Amino acid sequence: MSVAALPSEGAGRAGLRLSLILLLAPALLWLGLLIILPHIQLLALSLKVKLGPRLYETGLTNYTEFFAESIYWSTLIRTAFISIAATALTLLIAFPVAYYIAKMIRGRRKNLLFVLALLPFWVSELIRTLGWIIILRETGLISLGLQWLGLIDQPVELLGNDAAILVGLVYTSMLFMVVPLVTVLDSLDDTLVEAGYDLGGNGFAVLREIIIPHAMPGIVAGCIIVFMLTLGNILTPALLGGKNSLWFTDQIFQKFIVRFNWEQGAAFGFLLLIVSSLVVWIGLKITRQSLASTMT
Amino acid sequence: MRNELLRTAAVSAVLVATMAVFSAAQAAELRLLTWSGYAPDDVVAQFEAETGIDVEVTFSNNEEMISKLRATRGAGFDLAQPSQDRIEGPQVEFEIYKPIDLSQIDTSLFIPSLLEATKGNTTVDGQVYGVPHVWGTSGLVVDRANAGDVADYGDLCNGSHAGKVSMRLKRPVLIGFAFSMGMDPFAAYSDPAEYEQILNKVAESLIACKADVKAFWEGGDQLISSISTGEVTAAMAWDTGGWKLNNENPDVTFVAPSSGALGWVDSFVLPARGENDEAAYKWINFVMQPEIAAKITGAAGNFTASQGADAFVSDTLKAQFNDSFPQEAIDNINWYPPVPAGLEDLEGRVLDRIRASG
Amino acid sequence: MSPAPDLDIRGLVKRFGRFTAVEDVTFTVPEGSFFSILGPSGCGKTTLMRMIAGFSRPDSGDILIKGNSTIGLPPNRVAANMVFQHLALFPTMSVAENIGYGLRRRGHSKSEIAERVERMLERVDLAGSGPKQINQLSGGQKQRVAIARCLVLEPALLLLDEPLGALDLKLREQMKVELKQLQAKLGTTFVYITHDQSEALVMSDQVAVMNAGRFEQIGTPQDLYYRPLTAFVAGFVGNSNRWRGTVSAVGAQTRYAAEGGFELIGQAVSGLSVGQPVDLFLRPEAITLSRGTDPEAAAANALVGNVQSLLFDGGNSMAIVAPDRGGGSITVALPQTGDLADLTPGEPVRLSWSAEQVTGFAAASAA
Ligand SMILES: Nc1ncnc2c1ncn2[C@@H]1O[C@H](COP(=O)(O)OP(=O)(O)OP(=O)(O)O)[C@@H](O)[C@H]1O
Ligand SMILES: [Mg+2]
Repeated sequence: MSVAALPSEGAGRAGLRLSLILLLAPALLWLGLLIILPHIQLLALSLKVKLGPRLYETGLTNYTEFFAESIYWSTLIRTAFISIAATALTLLIAFPVAYYIAKMIRGRRKNLLFVLALLPFWVSELIRTLGWIIILRETGLISLGLQWLGLIDQPVELLGNDAAILVGLVYTSMLFMVVPLVTVLDSLDDTLVEAGYDLGGNGFAVLREIIIPHAMPGIVAGCIIVFMLTLGNILTPALLGGKNSLWFTDQIFQKFIVRFNWEQGAAFGFLLLIVSSLVVWIGLKITRQSLASTMT
Repeated sequence: MRNELLRTAAVSAVLVATMAVFSAAQAAELRLLTWSGYAPDDVVAQFEAETGIDVEVTFSNNEEMISKLRATRGAGFDLAQPSQDRIEGPQVEFEIYKPIDLSQIDTSLFIPSLLEATKGNTTVDGQVYGVPHVWGTSGLVVDRANAGDVADYGDLCNGSHAGKVSMRLKRPVLIGFAFSMGMDPFAAYSDPAEYEQILNKVAESLIACKADVKAFWEGGDQLISSISTGEVTAAMAWDTGGWKLNNENPDVTFVAPSSGALGWVDSFVLPARGENDEAAYKWINFVMQPEIAAKITGAAGNFTASQGADAFVSDTLKAQFNDSFPQEAIDNINWYPPVPAGLEDLEGRVLDRIRASG
Repeated sequence: MSPAPDLDIRGLVKRFGRFTAVEDVTFTVPEGSFFSILGPSGCGKTTLMRMIAGFSRPDSGDILIKGNSTIGLPPNRVAANMVFQHLALFPTMSVAENIGYGLRRRGHSKSEIAERVERMLERVDLAGSGPKQINQLSGGQKQRVAIARCLVLEPALLLLDEPLGALDLKLREQMKVELKQLQAKLGTTFVYITHDQSEALVMSDQVAVMNAGRFEQIGTPQDLYYRPLTAFVAGFVGNSNRWRGTVSAVGAQTRYAAEGGFELIGQAVSGLSVGQPVDLFLRPEAITLSRGTDPEAAAANALVGNVQSLLFDGGNSMAIVAPDRGGGSITVALPQTGDLADLTPGEPVRLSWSAEQVTGFAAASAA
């Protein structure tokens, strides 16, 4: 009996595997064609070293040059740090907003506020950034407003520094933090918060021990999205940044488009990929989250 | 399940085939890769009416044009308009253009000196790859009421306009300052070592000048708004920007620097895998007619290589041009020679260094 | 002078807009007692509890815990802890972390917290379960963790909001007993909310019956059962046979004419006048059932009828009798001795009861 049962069971499993493969085929194809294949091409490109017009050899020069030239690696570090700072700042601002939307208001007002948070994204990133230029420039709204109030007697230039970059990046990223936070905070049972207070916790303790642990998957998901978007943002740092402001994605763009040096551009792209993966990995380790838990 | 897959595959195959047929059928179309202002709507409409060829216009700039054509190995467009100094190098390195059949072009429509110069600069292996279209210069845009003393690039850094000066951190700034410092960077194009030395000297003085610079401008609109608000009083910029500002504020205009304005010529090239050369030639011959060329001058703000078009250009623009360019200033223009392959990377590094400093 | 009661509530009122959820509630809970608030759903029990715990502020009245008013104090400063209707255990923490939460807030040392948590776990029979995650516990275990989490803080007062509501029947029966024993062992004062009268009767020293925001009666379970003061209490606490009728005579005993044309004689009740409409209550176990029809069948406080159906439930077995007068049906408890176990549906029976067992209240509509 059991002997007879074996082959058919085996066949059943093989059939299952086949249908599984067929089911996954579109996803795998997509993954392969649109993500893995281009990256392999990029990797191959990054290992080509240009000797002269149409003359190449294989080597690591594109990578070693990155480490040899301090401008390159310091730009990458700077970009990563500003991105981390922008992510943290976005979280700090978005959290109370998300908490307010998720927990403090109900019904129509809640939807209204949510739409309000979405509103800036009806216009393009360029227009949004230009808006900030109009506000921050020497002859802009803030400068004029402060002069009108008599708080300053000279126009102030608020544009062209890292703070301006941060403002622009945080503004652009808000939504991507607010949405996962609202979702995760919506699922927090109000009585957990009340129990936290009832058992002697003050606002800070409840926040730290109950609300944040519950919101952690949303926080991590939001931070990953915002960090990646910020790191890859090229427009905002270029338009709001100052005379000294270098941004790594802009360098990659320059390498590819302006200097026709695709090989080094590809190498830089890979280095950016490594650094961003590393930052995300460290972030997940610190918060003891897994990528899987943040996606559910 | 498997049937489903097969069907999907079949449907996609049909789709791809249909698309191929369609793109072949669209041969009566001219895909033009150009600068904004070089293909105004009325000119396109007139061309379409006269020839029955549809024109699909894509606006771009030198670097993007070359990168786009490089990515597709010269496909996707039938006619492109890089500057004449960006034809030889990319052709040698990437083979993205095809030679121009001059017999298809009505050369009598061109200003002979410009045509000859462009032909000379775009010749690779004995074959001509470019003919001229629009020319212009970069130099200084100055608010004469507040910065009347700025006459050369170097004057931007003389300290008397600290915080009110702007420039674009791209290759023209390096070249302009080199001339202003008494060097000849164009002569050093062929000698990388000497060119690098020149760049290093320029970088040194630009780094020293950085404290005076309010901002490195990125887009033309950005510069124009900072000059019209008075935040900037002198800047390195294109001539058209200065003339545009002059329309609103007579104090502001384009000034040809004493060490010479930098002259560029945007030209016509045929992408290596363009599909409609015939339409491309028709477009060239069409837009070089004096009346049409004057319309393009009206839209772009720059003059063309069309013989006799000046007669049709607005008097304001002619007056602005004459104000900025006395005869000796025209003679003094430093025309960009072809950029040898690999120079951009060298310049890029210096530009990065300048930006990162301070 | 006796010490201040653990909880002293004075004239508490809470309104939501024009709706009054809690209306002029006054009571005291002595130290170490088990006090229940019993009432139907929506009568304002949770609202009252939330005011005691400090989550919402009364519109008027005062709350004193151990003699000190808690009005205006934030919930973390009120010396009462609450077991929530759905427990509200922290899912991101282990069992031990849940129980230690309050101690951590008080800044106890790590070793002391660990020791007290372990001792608490032992007391609720969960020794060794500290490292478990909340979702690894059974319903009854979660219950005990929720209680332990409060008790470890040694509160003056433990508030429990229908903590057994989420459990299945069997577990609820078992936890009822466990809770009572735990309370007796610890001596902590419990204020317990429920809409289940059996929970309230079994566990409490004192029960308050609440209806539409008001307290109808406060007393021992026996008081409420045997000496209800209002028609609502009589109807809500325990099972009763119920008739409408009018008062036909007052005096040493009160006589009532029940609807359907039979007479009931009850205890003297002050405040009733002849002709007044009343609601009449008679407990199933107060009725004596005997076989056959008696010559005295027509006497007061007696009815004849036929057994309609029999509900066997061990010691709680009942007979439903269709009386010859009065209409409807009468529920009668069968003696626990097992006499009459052979009763069959359709059999003629006689029902009788004594005057002490009949309680009449002025009908709500007439009041
Ligand atoms: N925040 C509020 N706003 C308006 N009305 C409320 C609010 N909270 C409670 N109520 C109303 O007050 C009344 C009492 O509610 P409460 O929650 O105290 O009832 P309960 O006795 O605990 O009922 P249950 O046994 O179903 O839990 C209900 O009619 C309810 O609708
Ligand atoms: Mg309730």
